[in-house]
Amino acid sequence: MTDFLQNNGFLLVTMVQQALLAMSLYYPLMCGQLSLASPGFYALGGYVAAIIGTIEYFAPWRDSLGWVIFPLEWLAAGIISGFLAVLVGIPALRLRGIYLALATIAFVEILRVVCLNLEITGGAIGIFGVPQLFESRWSYIWTFGPLLMLMLFFSYRLDRSRVGRAFKAIREDELAADAMGINPTRYKVLAFVIGAVLAGVVGAMSAPFLNTWNARQGTFDASIAYLAYVLIGGSRSMWGPLLGGMMLSALPEILRPLKDSRLIINGFVLVFASIYMPKGIAGAVGNLKNFTTRILGIGRSEK
Amino acid sequence: MTVLLEAERLCRNFGGLKAVSEVSFQVAEGEIFGLIGPNGAGKTTLFNLMTGLTPVTSGVLRYRGDLLTGLPPHRIAAQGIGRTFQNIRLFKGLSALENIKVSQHVTTKSGLLSGFFGTPSSRAEEKRVEEKAWELLTLVGLSGRAAELAENFSYGDQRRLEIARALALEPKIVLLDEPAAGMNSSEKYGLTEFIRAIRDQFKLTVLLIEHHVPLVMNLCDRIAVLNFGELIAVGEPAEVQKNPAVIEAYLGAE
Repeated sequence: MTDFLQNNGFLLVTMVQQALLAMSLYYPLMCGQLSLASPGFYALGGYVAAIIGTIEYFAPWRDSLGWVIFPLEWLAAGIISGFLAVLVGIPALRLRGIYLALATIAFVEILRVVCLNLEITGGAIGIFGVPQLFESRWSYIWTFGPLLMLMLFFSYRLDRSRVGRAFKAIREDELAADAMGINPTRYKVLAFVIGAVLAGVVGAMSAPFLNTWNARQGTFDASIAYLAYVLIGGSRSMWGPLLGGMMLSALPEILRPLKDSRLIINGFVLVFASIYMPKGIAGAVGNLKNFTTRILGIGRSEK
Repeated sequence: MTVLLEAERLCRNFGGLKAVSEVSFQVAEGEIFGLIGPNGAGKTTLFNLMTGLTPVTSGVLRYRGDLLTGLPPHRIAAQGIGRTFQNIRLFKGLSALENIKVSQHVTTKSGLLSGFFGTPSSRAEEKRVEEKAWELLTLVGLSGRAAELAENFSYGDQRRLEIARALALEPKIVLLDEPAAGMNSSEKYGLTEFIRAIRDQFKLTVLLIEHHVPLVMNLCDRIAVLNFGELIAVGEPAEVQKNPAVIEAYLGAE
């Protein structure tokens, strides 16, 4: 068991981390808004943690607070990301569909180029030697794991609450939701902020995990990768991004023995999934469940 | 008669087209007020102006003396004005029950955190929302299919669900856009009785657009007739029926 964790710990933690980032896209999608801004907030959160963890100014804090500095980094990253999300979200969410996606990609790019050129973010080199919270890589499951549990529980409650219903109503028909007394702008910005805070906190947890942080953390490629997680996993329930994030981030590693041809298989899986599982893996599992209930009478609930 | 809703010289232009032109009328509390007119007369546009979905070009709309024009749709809804749509705009991917729960938004308060932590007040509120949703579903006779997705309902059932959704707002006024469209004559008769019943039960004021003339004549206390965006007659059914301008609009001049 210990050997397995030593060898695969990094991958396991990465899978959880990527599932969390996929979930950060899920909240705007609950409102029907395709936002690809997550890598930007992820990068921002990571910089916040890396800066607090390395620069001279915070040295007395680090010395006196010990490990408590880490939760404070997460908190700071969440607050800063949330604040920026309000500023970006209010104008950006006036756009719809593909235009919103483009605007959020632009946001990620702007942030990347800014971080590439600032002194405090270490320019093109980035920030090295971010202090570690744990000694071994797989121990980071104790930060990402509970956060994932928390977010799953949060999503579960959200789905059954007044705010979650408002999100879904906007996704179904924004105009009708408006006529039923729901302020679409307010809830779209709220969903965007939830996703941004999550991405920011994941970033802040990832900087110590990866030990180093630089402008390559938040790129257009990452936007597309997260989008693939949600598309392949499914965007209609919280299980979609969870499954999509975990499976797609593990896939390249599992296929590693195939060397270069793994990229072909990876691409094939993406195409296959989007053609045959338009509602994602979570949707396909749901259909299968309906199928077995209807045809075989398995798992039929008592009414 | 207390005036509840008052339109004063409402206008809406779409480019060069005057969809609604200088329309003024008053609706009294508790009235069933019909809006009729040939296709393209501007009836639905007038409803959209009243609910804020389309901004007015000029003119004012008052509800109990307060200005409605210029408010976004959700604020007008929060004042107690509910509506249905001519081309049915249910939340198709949500269940019938959820459709009604969504509409209780303005009468409830629970926020992101109180919902997450399940505070006693948010739980009590959620219970009330659930009960009320069942009550309204029962009222429209759909309680047996609460968990079904709205998109799977028949046309007539979707119309009834939409009325239930509008009632969930606890409105003072409901605007029904062609509630009888696609119904057969016995369903239409049932609808007449139903609209009267909900008016009495919820102390509503009802505005409705309808093409089926016997239904309108039988149901409405007063009727307004629109033609090419202009109001050509307002009054009780019997007098409107005899009005030469109305006869001309419907049948053409001799």
